[in-house]
Amino acid sequence: MAKLNMVKALNLALHQEMERDPDVLVIGEDVGVDGGVFRVTEDLHRKFGGRRVIDSPLAEAAIIGTSVGMALYGLKPVCEIQFSGFAFQCFHQIENHAARYRTRSQGRFHCQMVIRMPYGGGVRALEHHTESEEQFYAHIPGLKMVIPSGPRTARGLLVGAIRDPDPVIFFEAKGLYHAAREEVPDEIETLPLGRAQVVQEGKDLTLIAYGAMLRVAREAAQVLQDEDGVEIEVIDLLTISPLDRETVVTSVQKTGRAVIVHEAPKSFGPGAEIAATIMEAAFLSLEAPIRRVAAYDVSFAGFAREKANVPDVARVVAACRETLAF
Amino acid sequence: MAVMTYREALNLALREEMHRDPRVFLIGEEIGLYDGAYKVTQGLLKEFGERRVVDTPICESGFTGVAVGAAMLGLRPVVEMMTFNFSILALDQIVNSAAKLYYMSGGQYSVPMVIRGPGGPAHQLAAQHSQSMEVYFYHVPGLKVVRPSTPRDAKGLLKSAIRDDNPVIFIEAETLYGIKGEVPDDPEFTIPLGKAEIRREGTDVTVFAYMGMMYRALEVAEELAKEGISCEVVDPRTLRPMDIETMIGSVRKTHRAVVVEAGAGFAGMGSEIAAFVTENAFDDLDAPVERITGANAPMPYAKNLEQAKTPSKEKIIATIRRVCSA
Repeated sequence: MAKLNMVKALNLALHQEMERDPDVLVIGEDVGVDGGVFRVTEDLHRKFGGRRVIDSPLAEAAIIGTSVGMALYGLKPVCEIQFSGFAFQCFHQIENHAARYRTRSQGRFHCQMVIRMPYGGGVRALEHHTESEEQFYAHIPGLKMVIPSGPRTARGLLVGAIRDPDPVIFFEAKGLYHAAREEVPDEIETLPLGRAQVVQEGKDLTLIAYGAMLRVAREAAQVLQDEDGVEIEVIDLLTISPLDRETVVTSVQKTGRAVIVHEAPKSFGPGAEIAATIMEAAFLSLEAPIRRVAAYDVSFAGFAREKANVPDVARVVAACRETLAF
Repeated sequence: MAVMTYREALNLALREEMHRDPRVFLIGEEIGLYDGAYKVTQGLLKEFGERRVVDTPICESGFTGVAVGAAMLGLRPVVEMMTFNFSILALDQIVNSAAKLYYMSGGQYSVPMVIRGPGGPAHQLAAQHSQSMEVYFYHVPGLKVVRPSTPRDAKGLLKSAIRDDNPVIFIEAETLYGIKGEVPDDPEFTIPLGKAEIRREGTDVTVFAYMGMMYRALEVAEELAKEGISCEVVDPRTLRPMDIETMIGSVRKTHRAVVVEAGAGFAGMGSEIAAFVTENAFDDLDAPVERITGANAPMPYAKNLEQAKTPSKEKIIATIRRVCSA
């Protein structure tokens, strides 16, 4: 058991899976000799060589297209897109090809591949480098959309994603890369995709978050406990699609109230599906409307205005108080 | 008032706006010499010449990018996507350039352009030609998104879209090009963006639907009227921006709502409507907002499977009956 930050935890998962399975390979811009723009692929090139750790040109569509081809023939590529904002360049390869081969070929082919991308704010970067595009992938049948919230979940979910027989979009919150260190077991640990975790039990309100927003949600829950004496149940979603309906709905049936937090803009965002699902399945348990705390419906206000755009503890606390008082 | 097809109404809108404003020009694949894959641009090359009706190579990101540049410098391009499914190849230009440049330039550049073409399911066009692409665009700040269901709307909304100073996504439907309806002759007739239309008044349940699903909802409303269920059919027309007043106003009156959506339902158009209605009309709701959507799978080619994926009349009727008995 070692204390690792999220970058090191992801790196550990890649090292161990590449050792375990010779079909796993890494491809992306600067992932090889340079070790990745955020150092997630450090030392892989030295250890596994240029045939398994492939430096690509600046061509996202080519990275994904090549990987789809490799996956069809039995390899297990782990692709890195340098920033999630660049992935619109390869969106057609993901949506029209990676996500579809299983159904299009009636099960004769499938794409076992992971597409890793750093997403979200927290590093004072500009638009294209700070947005949260998970909703685009959550809507696509045939894909899984995973977002870990810290070093241990990142490691366990990345292993789970690499072993999943179908394409997985794996978002890594840039703000979490170096944020905190956590105990990560030395032996390989796998977390199942599609399962949320109740990270804190409570009876008064269900607070649903993922990625970098989990920390915000937990801090807000603490403030509400200290100042208002209420018990908040905090759910770490971990997988956006397929959604763990059971965990979410069971919790809201108990608490009767729900607030959802995410970094993506509110309208037509991931919170809409979660809210609609809760409402369909737990309507009669609801004591108050489901609130969504999200980025505003504007182009990502990066750099100096970032903090005003992304949900913070005060906004989450305020939304919870409104919901509790309804 | 003339009776014309949806296709003719679009053609007339383009012709009138090109006469009205010399900055308006058309660009896309096969729109000139071939008069458009669906003949929407018929006769316009002959009338306006090749400087204003530009045939392009098969390269969506290329001609969309050219149009963004032209719009930044003061022209008003109307881009045709042969089908909107292909806009996925121009997604980076649309999301990262067209939608954001006004914001990124601090208001120095506006991008007055329209991207139009048919989308959504038609008849056996299969996985890559049947997608409801609007779902991706609904989530993008900086865009407006229109889905016109009638010839009158096609003309009035396209003219407003061309006159708008922002990028507007305008998605027609292959299945509607041939339908006929009354269209005002007045060249100054427009319909403002962001206004929903009540297609049929009712008192028991609000049914939100557009395009082909709107017509199906009207048939259902007629049948359900015989058993005493009075449906109000609301066509949102534009969901970005959303007509909050009309949509919420209708639910406040009927106390029940369902959404009918042709595309895949998970994280789709109905998710936002359901979440939004719950947020804003919670105390008025007598039943959960239900969604009747396309299955979460790529569109199959086989006719029987295509029908199984798409919301059927029977399924809509059964859902409305259930909602009304809750």
